[in-house]
Amino acid sequence: MGELFGALGISASGMTAERLRMDVTSGNLANADSTKGANGLPYQRQEVVLQAGGQSFSDVLGNAQAGVQVAGIVNDTSPGKKVYDPGHPDADAQGYVTLPNVNTVTEMTDLITESRSYEADTQAMQTAKQLYLKTLDLLR
Amino acid sequence: MGLFDLTDLVVQRGLEGASLRQQILSNNLANANTAGFKRSDVDFQSTLASAIGSGDPAQAIANVAFQPQTDSSTTMTADGNNVDTDTEMSNLTSNALEYETLAAVEQQRFSMLKTAMGS
Repeated sequence: MGELFGALGISASGMTAERLRMDVTSGNLANADSTKGANGLPYQRQEVVLQAGGQSFSDVLGNAQAGVQVAGIVNDTSPGKKVYDPGHPDADAQGYVTLPNVNTVTEMTDLITESRSYEADTQAMQTAKQLYLKTLDLLR
Repeated sequence: MGLFDLTDLVVQRGLEGASLRQQILSNNLANANTAGFKRSDVDFQSTLASAIGSGDPAQAIANVAFQPQTDSSTTMTADGNNVDTDTEMSNLTSNALEYETLAAVEQQRFSMLKTAMGS
């Protein structure tokens, strides 16, 4: 029985992680043309790093799996594309503007992966709930 | 022999195994995008089958411990992850059906007990 409640928590951790990834991807897309951030430099795309859930004391006791957790949000330091636009306020001495290193296609495919994974987690949660209700039926 | 016979014990441990597998498969899905994560699974059916086939099945079934196995040999994506969402979803469905079957059998046996008790 404890395993089924554990399954709900695991799926919830997956949903939380995927939602954060969607937030970050949306932020990247929204800033695809931001040539000046808070630090005066072009926007850098961000990425969420996930890691398998750590082992808490109760996990070790119950020999349980622990879901997924966010290790951190990191900046992608790859260089951005440069376009020649001398009239732009953020252009350098040679007249080039550095755009953010956001590739819209990459972000869109990431968004699809995240949304599908979220759906898979909700499905797993639904199944756990259904099994739990079946167990309750044993009492009838 | 108490109120519950060997079949009841096997069905109950089977339900335990299926709910552990549900948890493990959910964990695989939750980590579908974790770099370097390797999927796990548990073969509770074989563990139970060998317990049933042993010399003292009642004792063996009572002491049975399901051991999740991690599959480190394969790789699906460039980041070292080997979770295939489609496979996990089909495993999840078949495991749920198995759980429901076991629960239905147990329910049937409970109703037989109730009949015998005259209620």
